Amino acid sequence: MVNRIFVLALGISLILAIAGWASPALNNLVIGATQEPSNLLPWEGAADTKENIMGIFNIGLTYFDSEGNLQPGLASEVPTEENGRLLVFRDAAGKVIRQEVLWTIRGDAFWSDGTPITSDDAVFTFEVQNTPELPVTTRAFSSLIEDVVKVDEKSFWIHYKTPNLFYANIGGSVGLARHYDIAPKHIWEPIYRQVMEQVAANPDKATEIIEGQFLGSPPATGTGTVVGSGVFKFEEWQINQFIRFSRRDDFFLDPPGPAENYLQEVTVRFIVAQPTLLSGIIAGEIEASDDIGLAGLDPAVLEAQLRDRGAVEVTPSGFIEKLNCNLFTQCAVAADLLLGDKRTRQAIIQAIDREDVATTVYPGAIVSNSFIIRGDVGFTDDLNPWPYDPEAAKALLADIGWADSDGDGWLERTTDDGREIEFAIHWVATTADFRIRTGEILQEFLADVGIKVEVENLPGSVVFSSEYINHGSECTFRGMFEYAEGGGIAQAPADPLSNELWANDLLEDPVDTTLENVPLPDNGFAGTNITGWVNEEFDQLRADALQEFSLEKRADIVKQMQVIYNEELPTVPLYERVETVTTATGLVNFTKGTAAARTQFWNPWEWGWEQNGAVAMR
Amino acid sequence: MIAYLIRRFLQVIPTLFVVSLILYGLLALKPGDPIDELRRGNPGFTQADYERLRKFYGLDKPWFVRYWRWLGRAVRGDFGTSRQFGRPAAQYIFRFRFPNTLLLSGVSLLFAFFIAVPTGVISALHQHSLLDYTVTVVNFIGVSIPIFWLGIMLIFIFAVVFRGFLPAGGLTTPGITGTWPAIADRIRHLILPVAALSSLQLAQWTRFMRSSMLDVIKLDYVITARAKGLNERRITYHHALRNAILPLITLIGLNVPLLFSGAILTETVFNWPGMGRAIFDAILVNDFNVAMVSLVFISLLVLSFTLFADIMYAIVDPRIRYD
Repeated sequence: MVNRIFVLALGISLILAIAGWASPALNNLVIGATQEPSNLLPWEGAADTKENIMGIFNIGLTYFDSEGNLQPGLASEVPTEENGRLLVFRDAAGKVIRQEVLWTIRGDAFWSDGTPITSDDAVFTFEVQNTPELPVTTRAFSSLIEDVVKVDEKSFWIHYKTPNLFYANIGGSVGLARHYDIAPKHIWEPIYRQVMEQVAANPDKATEIIEGQFLGSPPATGTGTVVGSGVFKFEEWQINQFIRFSRRDDFFLDPPGPAENYLQEVTVRFIVAQPTLLSGIIAGEIEASDDIGLAGLDPAVLEAQLRDRGAVEVTPSGFIEKLNCNLFTQCAVAADLLLGDKRTRQAIIQAIDREDVATTVYPGAIVSNSFIIRGDVGFTDDLNPWPYDPEAAKALLADIGWADSDGDGWLERTTDDGREIEFAIHWVATTADFRIRTGEILQEFLADVGIKVEVENLPGSVVFSSEYINHGSECTFRGMFEYAEGGGIAQAPADPLSNELWANDLLEDPVDTTLENVPLPDNGFAGTNITGWVNEEFDQLRADALQEFSLEKRADIVKQMQVIYNEELPTVPLYERVETVTTATGLVNFTKGTAAARTQFWNPWEWGWEQNGAVAMR
Repeated sequence: MIAYLIRRFLQVIPTLFVVSLILYGLLALKPGDPIDELRRGNPGFTQADYERLRKFYGLDKPWFVRYWRWLGRAVRGDFGTSRQFGRPAAQYIFRFRFPNTLLLSGVSLLFAFFIAVPTGVISALHQHSLLDYTVTVVNFIGVSIPIFWLGIMLIFIFAVVFRGFLPAGGLTTPGITGTWPAIADRIRHLILPVAALSSLQLAQWTRFMRSSMLDVIKLDYVITARAKGLNERRITYHHALRNAILPLITLIGLNVPLLFSGAILTETVFNWPGMGRAIFDAILVNDFNVAMVSLVFISLLVLSFTLFADIMYAIVDPRIRYD
């Protein structure tokens, strides 16, 4: 019996030991991410994690560095009016009527299988993007393009039918959903042509064919040949587990020093539960985290847990957490609360100690008074800071007719038709821990000024469904809806990427009175202006900004927009969110910097370990 | 018996039909659709994009029309494509998720069974002894501790405190090559999730076995067998255990389907890519095809294992006969 136990223990030890010897080699990196991309299809954009993954083995025509400067990637140079690659045509009134951009791909740019990257790839990418039968995720930018015309093997023109300020930004040029700009024609064209032939022959089975053979094709699912334009080449994707890349030796951007001193292999492990991700980081299995997985964790606590084994970087996320108020007059409940009166919103913002909220629920966050993030084009600090002032809030509420007439601590008022209304405001948000905590804190602050908050936390898939978020006029949310929106990342706010505030598109021709961006029955509940705020001056400034190619002049316009926003407060800004990323000691250049870089994945060719000779550049 | 089996098999078809209809209807009731996920991740997503994609995926049709189409394809073995991963839904579940759940749940079940049965028997035979009391206390602890908490604690102790002794989660270590290292690596990754997942079953089944054994060893035929001079080992394992184990077999048979769908907490904590988590994620992101194929499969498992339990009953107890 004793012998059997001894043998069993020995066997177990051997198993554990053998597995311990089978550890990965040095000069690689294991990154932990809580989300997994759906596929590797260039024409479909999804969550930020896909952007990160694609950024490891692809590079765009341009990229933002950690200081927010736009740099040429695949392109030989960033097109500007100065270098003659950007041509802008205006009519007599000064309105931009046409725009042309000339791109030239670098001579030393190759796909990871050695095939040269050419203008044929760009033309093909646009052709697929524009194919009506294909479910590409968005045509927000590609719909601005008239055509993409090849000049020679490396150069091509993009002709825009309407002005595109973001012609040089990632995703803004050829119009793909995310980072990638150009897809490999030699890989995708055979698949695409075959699919389109079959669709033409069997139109009633188009969806099945496209789903199975295009969306489910081997390059999209990672089960076949996957090529990219970036420094790392795709090796394998074990679905729901990890995706692995290895360094190629023919990439055109060099790190400082010999390439062999920098990472030779990168693996991204998908770990859905944040506690498990954190355990892996502390245990040393995960050497870096992406910018999403550690959301909401206190950086100081993380630092204490990591001690000398790693570092924590806190960077701006580019998102502003805000309370979106229901301003629809059609929603009687919201209208009774006088949310449409800006004094009500001004009272709410002053009743909340936003500094307290930010530091409590989202350590590292910075209070915001704008819809633009710090460091972005046109951001200004010269706005009303709306400091925490419950007395001022009470005074404003009294001005508009609220009073605690029955002494129960809650405000009431009598409506025009004689009804007695209590100030009980519905607050809805997702079930994220920090938002649950925010709801509790808001209840306390607003109770101090006599406002009762009815908290409701619902799954993101419910509140962000179009049946919910776009139906504020039907009182799906009856007061405030808290979530975060992009704050115009190195692109003016007056851009499609930060588009929840405009109502009427004044760039259309002819201009009509239809509020394209406000979800109402008239327009099929389309649009992203879920508060229902309409401000003609704001819309005009937006239209002006969208036609202003001078960053300086655009910044001035954006400042004016912020002044209007800061006064009207259609959304009550709480704080600019931050992202928390950990890196193991010795890992260099895995850093984001400003929000313009979007993630830490903007420069994988520079990632490396100091102990292997990599040089820290920032 | 044959006629009984045929009747039971034939009952499966209408049962699955009703179940699939109810499941599809419930999923359709949930707010949102698969396009919402694309919209959320893409700031540039426009209403025109939304309408276009809804039409492409047939989401502009009423749910019962979509269900009829789904049924028509499902009976031909085509369960549609995962909107999330772009692969055939059935392939995604049965190639990438089901084997992992089978491995985790199977090992947990076997581990729990082969520990619970002898422990319960020994505990019953030594009732009111120190061993019995120890087993009882451990069982109560096992029943009381939430699995997800236990899982996190196990990770904390064996991966963080004893840094790297066992993995913090996952199925494999990326980059492992070679058959034996891969097997060893898989075993390492299985240890903690199996310990967590089997804890509740182990505790429950041990108590059950003990209780059942205590009932049986007091019966007349056992006393008679002892009086006739049979040795204790034969009385216990050949006579008493065969009857005592019947209720446990029923319990296990009814629990097996739950193991495939109910390990979601363990799968989440240990990052084990199994079916439970797949179902939960599919419902959250409105990946109808994956959710349907998984839930219908679970329903089939419930029906199958209920039948299996009935058959095992008949095998173990000759008095039970089905006509």
